[in-house]
Amino acid sequence: MDYEITMPRLTDTMESGVIVRWLKSEGDYVKKNEPVVEIETEKAIQEVPAFKDGILKKILAEEGQEVDVGKPIAILEITKEVPITSPPKTQEEEISVKVEEKITPEIVEEASKIGEQIQQQTQAVKEALASPYAKKLSADFGFPLKELQEKGEIPSPAHEKDIREYLYSQYIDKDTLKDLKQYSINIDKLIKDLQGNLSKDNIYRYIKENNIYKLSDIPIFQKRLIEHLSKSATVPTFHIYEAINLKNILDKKEFTITTYILKIFADVMQNHYRTRIYYGNGKYRIYPSSNISVAIAVDEELFSPVIKNIEDKSLKNIQEQLQILREKAQDRKFDPEDFEGGTFSISNLGMFGIDMFDAIIPYNYSGIAAIGIEKNGYVNIVFSFDHRIINGKDAALFVKELKEKFDDVEYIESLK
Amino acid sequence: MLYRDALKKAIDELMEIDDTIVILGEDVGFYGGNYRVTDGLFSKYGEKRVIDTPIAENSIVGNAIGMAFGGLRPVVEIMTVNFSLLAYDQIVNQLAKIRYMSGGDICIPLTIRMPQGVAKQLAAQHSQSFERIFASIPGLKVFTASDSITAYYGLKQAILSDDPVIFLEHLLLYSQDFLFYEINDFDITKQRIVKSGENITLVSCLKILHDSLEAVKEVEKKLGITVEVIELTSLSPLNLDLVYESVKKTKRLVVVSEEPKTGSFTSEIITKVMENCFYYLDAPPLRITAEDTPTPYNRKLELFSIPTPDKIATKIINWGREHGL
Amino acid sequence: MNKSLAEKFYYYMKLGREFELRAKEEYMKGNIGGFLHLAIGEEGTHVGAILGFGNGEFFVHYRDHVYAIARGISPKLLMAELFGKITGVSKGKGGSMHFYSSKFNFYGGNAIVGAHIPHAVGLAYAKKYLGKSDGVMVAFGDGSTNSGNFYESLNLAAVYQVPLLFFCENNYYAIGTRIDRVSAFKDLYKKAKDYMIAIQIDGMDVFEVYRAVSLAKEYIQEEGKPYFIEALTYRYESHSMSDSGDYRSPRELKIAKEKDPIDNLLKKAFKESLLTKEFVEEIDRKVEIEIEEAVEFALNSKEPDLEELYKDIFCED
Repeated sequence: MDYEITMPRLTDTMESGVIVRWLKSEGDYVKKNEPVVEIETEKAIQEVPAFKDGILKKILAEEGQEVDVGKPIAILEITKEVPITSPPKTQEEEISVKVEEKITPEIVEEASKIGEQIQQQTQAVKEALASPYAKKLSADFGFPLKELQEKGEIPSPAHEKDIREYLYSQYIDKDTLKDLKQYSINIDKLIKDLQGNLSKDNIYRYIKENNIYKLSDIPIFQKRLIEHLSKSATVPTFHIYEAINLKNILDKKEFTITTYILKIFADVMQNHYRTRIYYGNGKYRIYPSSNISVAIAVDEELFSPVIKNIEDKSLKNIQEQLQILREKAQDRKFDPEDFEGGTFSISNLGMFGIDMFDAIIPYNYSGIAAIGIEKNGYVNIVFSFDHRIINGKDAALFVKELKEKFDDVEYIESLK
Repeated sequence: MLYRDALKKAIDELMEIDDTIVILGEDVGFYGGNYRVTDGLFSKYGEKRVIDTPIAENSIVGNAIGMAFGGLRPVVEIMTVNFSLLAYDQIVNQLAKIRYMSGGDICIPLTIRMPQGVAKQLAAQHSQSFERIFASIPGLKVFTASDSITAYYGLKQAILSDDPVIFLEHLLLYSQDFLFYEINDFDITKQRIVKSGENITLVSCLKILHDSLEAVKEVEKKLGITVEVIELTSLSPLNLDLVYESVKKTKRLVVVSEEPKTGSFTSEIITKVMENCFYYLDAPPLRITAEDTPTPYNRKLELFSIPTPDKIATKIINWGREHGL
Repeated sequence: MNKSLAEKFYYYMKLGREFELRAKEEYMKGNIGGFLHLAIGEEGTHVGAILGFGNGEFFVHYRDHVYAIARGISPKLLMAELFGKITGVSKGKGGSMHFYSSKFNFYGGNAIVGAHIPHAVGLAYAKKYLGKSDGVMVAFGDGSTNSGNFYESLNLAAVYQVPLLFFCENNYYAIGTRIDRVSAFKDLYKKAKDYMIAIQIDGMDVFEVYRAVSLAKEYIQEEGKPYFIEALTYRYESHSMSDSGDYRSPRELKIAKEKDPIDNLLKKAFKESLLTKEFVEEIDRKVEIEIEEAVEFALNSKEPDLEELYKDIFCED
């Protein structure tokens, strides 16, 4: 029986995913729960397991392809047993099986010889094919197309773009050409305009002089972020600006300031339920615990994973959690639940010497605190609140209690 | 303007100024037409000009031929293209041939309007598309109406033509509201560019043209290219100059149709493009058609049997990736 | 009965017969191709119907030469058409089975059995709509009375109440099958009598055919209603040049020939002094010359140019 592997919904906002890498090939036997494919979502790259035992019969989506959630990406032929008659093997594979059976140096040598022969044969058999237009174009340029294809300089089947690329490679070195593809540039015109002098320097001078821009695809996570931020921008927001006293925690060496901030925020959020609200589908989701997302930037990417139940966690525990999330961010391998359940967010640009800034509330969160650099024992925090969830008075009371807690030596000393 | 209203407007305006124009067909008069195209014309022009016929397609067309001999300009409605087979002798052996066999002595200014295509669960006898069947008969002109503009201007051109015209409509278009604007030099025989683009030429007509346009959005997004879409408004005479010009620019041809694949009219388009643009092609032409099966009743199977926007998009994207896009 | 009518009968019947006999000869020589259907033996029916009907559009099947000649279409143009020449009545594109002349209100030859009957209904409708009253006649054979076209047309002519004369020439054979083996009625007019007035007449007697058709013509013109005539007749030749005709016995043929319409006419006309021997001899000479000239004309005419292939498909080219 055939079973369709579909693009999974890995987060509640996910609409499509990109196939990063197939971990299994067609014909492979896959066990239940064994990862078969890596999927890139807006948040991270994740491995997706098979939900049944079976043979991966057909891969429907190539690597790099974006597929909508729920659409099939592969077909699994369900079977409990590892097939006795394994799927048809190529001659090469067959040889390597034989080699495994009884490996002796002679056999290895012989096998590699046969392998070479087969390779030579298949190369010889492989026809030099080209589209009519590719043929016409290469004839116009006077290229010995078949010869070039046999040498591997032009692929088979050849299309218009292959001929043009070959033409360009006659004038421009490979790396420059590769780089040029990112520019919105007409290479035919460039070659014409720069007649005779197509050195790298000259080309880039030409690009600058003509104000030619680079065209960059937006990575899927960035696209999602843009969508998300655009939605956030439609939310009615108000701000509270406050300087918070850090003197009581600055001398603490064991735990970072961020750890303390998270803990104190979490404790205060317990007394202000509106900060624990997520606005979803016309209803408030009121979470019992304080779940705060933390912005983590890796290279050009931005992640906002959530630490949950912070009010019940020890400082040590919180610090470890932060570390784990940073590591996950480095590998871009989060679990879907890492992004779920947050209601409030913290963003810190203090490490860059920023005094004060304004942050965008993650869509449907109650608010965000933007933390600047510490100066003379104080830090400027700009609070942004979603007015649909929390009003001015409740927000003011929340900030007021936060301030009091940071001032309260006894409380801070009691934190573990 | 609703597609059906555009058709009616064309008929009505011409009937007003020319009393040799008569309509005949099943239920076209008192009942108002099975797809309401002739609604209101019976009370306006009377039963002599809006003629209710029995269910006898062969006679409807046969009588209309005789009326044309007698100096009238009949507009026939065959309820759906499926029933035209009952009049196939009159259409093919008579209508298409008499002018030629009379050495040019006799003109037959006659239009046969009929809807075709897959609607919803009408099953095999009511879901056919016959572009190939009519366009391959010399002596017939074959026009299609894909929106209210071609419906209005095209039908007028058909009725005013002194030659026999098969005018193909689509069941699912009647109640669709299309943008309508005036065109001064409309000529249905020239075909029509409905969207310009640079990298693929897509040729289609009737309802599947709109599905193709929807698919094209996805194709353009996924492949990062642009598609030129050409509406085939006249299958006979088949003037493909616009298509040749476009293919010479884009180097790639896709033809989409609701006919079953084998021997479908798409084959004719592709052949002509091969004959005229062979050295310009950078990929084998792509045909997207219905399956080579009768149309099933079951909705899931029915949708599986015809191209849908999703399928059109996937096919073009995969083909594009395979062939150098 | 009047003299000039009898003279006309004789002239057209003789001209028709000689034309067809010559066509048969030319076919055998290879000057005429395709299918050639001869009406020898049926001249009384054909000539009587055309002359009886007078003006008004006429539709006919593929056994059409004598009708055309009686309508006044020149034997030259007809023979040239049979020879496939550009001077033919349809520029050599129709041939024996399909030629048309709007000038003579002559619509067909039509080679699909019964397919022209709906055309006649439609044309009669158009004439009624346009206020023209001279009526339409459609001739068809016994074979077509078993087709859907025939029944649909009887119904519609009666529904629309159009001035149309259905003229059935019953020569008893649909190609090689005797009509009573495939028709529920041996008397074919019975098929029509519930729709309209329907009568049966002797088609071998040109006087009777003429009289019946003239009366029918008056009726459809005055009443604006359809009318049906079945004329019993007989063809001496086989269905077309390509069949042997051996489905009929020599005895049957002999009996039929005893009622030959031309002999019949002469017998009657001499008896009633409507024709003289001298007149008949003169006509025979005239006909001989006319046929000779027609063949000459056809032989000497040009073949159509190759570009003619593409002409006359559409009005707007």
